[in-house]
Amino acid sequence: MTALFYIVRKSVKNSLKELLRKPGKLALYLLALAVIAGVIVMSFFPSLRASASAPLFWFTGILFLYIVLFVVLAVVKGMSGGDAIFEMSDVNLLFVSPVDPRRILVYGVARMAKSAFFAGFFILFQANSLANFGIRYGGVLLTLAGFVLSVVVLLILSLLIYSATNGRPGRKRLVKLLAALPFLPLAVFAAASYLQTRDVLAAAEAAIQSPFLTFIPVAGWTAAGVSAFLSGATGAGLLYFGANLLLGIGLIVYLLFSNPDYYEDVLVATETAYEKKRALSEGNLSAATAPASGRRVRVKGTGIPFYGAAALFGKHARENFRENRFGFLTLPSALIAAGAILLTLFVRELWLAMQILMWMQIFLIGTGRGLKETYSHYIYMIPETSFRKILWSNMEIVARTLLESALIFGISGALLKSDAVYILVCAAAYTLFSLLLLGVNYVFMRFTGADISAGLLLFIYCIAVLLVMAPGVVLAVVIGSAVGGDIGFLTGLLVLCGWELAAGLVCFALSGGVLHHCDMPVFRTNK
Amino acid sequence: MIDALNISKRYGKTLANDNISLTAAAGEMTVLLGPNGAGKSTLIKSVCGLLRFEGGVTIGGFDNHTVDAKRLLGYVPEFPALYPMLTVFEHLEFIAKAYRLSEWRADAEGLLRQFELWDKADKLGKELSKGMQQKVSVCCALLPRPKAVIMDEPLVGLDPHGIRELKAAMRDLKSGGRALLVSTHMIESVEGDWDTTYILNGGKVAAVCRREGLPPGKTLEDIYFSITEGDSTGGGNSTDKADSTGEGGEGV
Repeated sequence: MTALFYIVRKSVKNSLKELLRKPGKLALYLLALAVIAGVIVMSFFPSLRASASAPLFWFTGILFLYIVLFVVLAVVKGMSGGDAIFEMSDVNLLFVSPVDPRRILVYGVARMAKSAFFAGFFILFQANSLANFGIRYGGVLLTLAGFVLSVVVLLILSLLIYSATNGRPGRKRLVKLLAALPFLPLAVFAAASYLQTRDVLAAAEAAIQSPFLTFIPVAGWTAAGVSAFLSGATGAGLLYFGANLLLGIGLIVYLLFSNPDYYEDVLVATETAYEKKRALSEGNLSAATAPASGRRVRVKGTGIPFYGAAALFGKHARENFRENRFGFLTLPSALIAAGAILLTLFVRELWLAMQILMWMQIFLIGTGRGLKETYSHYIYMIPETSFRKILWSNMEIVARTLLESALIFGISGALLKSDAVYILVCAAAYTLFSLLLLGVNYVFMRFTGADISAGLLLFIYCIAVLLVMAPGVVLAVVIGSAVGGDIGFLTGLLVLCGWELAAGLVCFALSGGVLHHCDMPVFRTNK
Repeated sequence: MIDALNISKRYGKTLANDNISLTAAAGEMTVLLGPNGAGKSTLIKSVCGLLRFEGGVTIGGFDNHTVDAKRLLGYVPEFPALYPMLTVFEHLEFIAKAYRLSEWRADAEGLLRQFELWDKADKLGKELSKGMQQKVSVCCALLPRPKAVIMDEPLVGLDPHGIRELKAAMRDLKSGGRALLVSTHMIESVEGDWDTTYILNGGKVAAVCRREGLPPGKTLEDIYFSITEGDSTGGGNSTDKADSTGEGGEGV
């Protein structure tokens, strides 16, 4: 164990030393600590009660669905390569050392708990949204604890699934069946409720409040446990959290005693994760962010349409249609569209959904192929002007955003029987916001020369987007209020569209010649 | 063909390239040698216009950021970066279309056959091994028939056949009047073909060697180790001042 403690001690010490040398990173960590400290301090003030405007069971349902997403990911990963709980350095140095493999596994799982905490860190920023369900700051921390616990359990589950199904197709089918089985009673109950009431919301409410949800390991137990704590049923909360904990411990014990030679089982996932990190640091962002699924891609149509800089768009179109059957509408964007349509049905307001989508777009804009293209050399070497290359390399995300807008606002607007002009204006505000975000990204590249750490860049970028948008929002509110009524609201949205367009164009103008004035960015992985 | 003048590149406090000047003439192979961290890749990326730098670079007389310069330049990066969802042939088609090449199909097929990739033409980028990716990367760089070709560690990861073919391709390029600028650790891989070698150390040009200026009985390897390890027996007249090319550093 001394060797493992040594690694942990030295890693922590060296990370702290590195932080002192990098003020930007230090500022981010201090901010993170301040947020955690802030939430903890606030949780000691029971007078700061949140006023509930939505019933708690909806929160239970949302948390349940969110963790189900991680359950699905864990099962899929388990059947492909397992989850990476070790680093390549562990494989090369620890696995060949005379340290007990069981202790090494505990070390790996403990380290993953840290990663799970950071994965759930964003929950702390949801305090305002959670307040709508009457959840106070203590409840936010509790939600984070439940999330971290379930993610750690799922990591071990994923490893176990890989260990049990590797190279055994029959067992994979069995795991799929077993994974779906606990959800069956809930699905049947929800379907029966719908047939009885013919009301989707009523059926969903009945399903969430039914005991069938609490029978589902990990996702159901976490959602029910957090909700039980929040509604004062501490005993029930402890029971559900304890069940998750016991499951995790049971899985570790099973793994240790059934298969102490687990090194082979973790190798594939570790190597895959390492290759991705290496691809990132070598500038091969396309390879690093390509779906890791073992799905065999069938090459049917081939060829790249268009010439010159437009060939970039032709290439993106070919890549998109080959990668997924929806073409420009990727699977994540299709899921977001479906989620947004559902959300609109709940909140009954298009502009509220638009607002949430715009927040998400701040982070999702980087998933476009145009920005990824700047990480490899081709776009710099093509003999065309910087402007033409930037323009055509971003046509893919423009097409995607237009499709998303048409789907989300078209379907939601039709279901809510909204006015056509209102639908169009919402779609325009969302699409033009994407244009503005692209512009801000290129301005950053132009003026920082892309020579800045990813974390710090993201932080400054978010602040910059808020600052650029603020005058437009203020202007929209002032003019909208002055006009008043529904017309005023529409006018306000139109003003916002105008601001987004103008600010976006100014950003693009400022970023002129960006491909000649920046270092080809390198994704820093801190591996 | 490739002229770099007083290139300096700084990463924070680190000076990766310190006032480096370099010329790669048409019909010649110019080699960059140096230990890890000497600044070879940084210099190559600066010449290709992938990094900002102080100083100036021209390709065929055009500033390296201009469209005219890019049309003349082919680049094989140190790490091959292929698109996972494009087939091998589509990589070449993409380059052909982006460079507005005409009659490129026969050339593409020729390159793929030369590098034993023709039977992999329909394979996706993500399905290729690292060595094959490197070969595709070479084919992409050579397809537009560039007048100047820059290769950063091009032989790393290649199998023996690939190494033989790439060396042959480099000789063909040289005899075809192209300017070649090659960065490598493998001195023996360029021993037979180099014309000028720049030995970089600590971000500076430590020596410039012309093949005809080598002392009798001395190899490029001898010179390299005498410069980088301070072996007084290897370099012969390595203490001479800059040679007639005027790039700075010691001339041999």
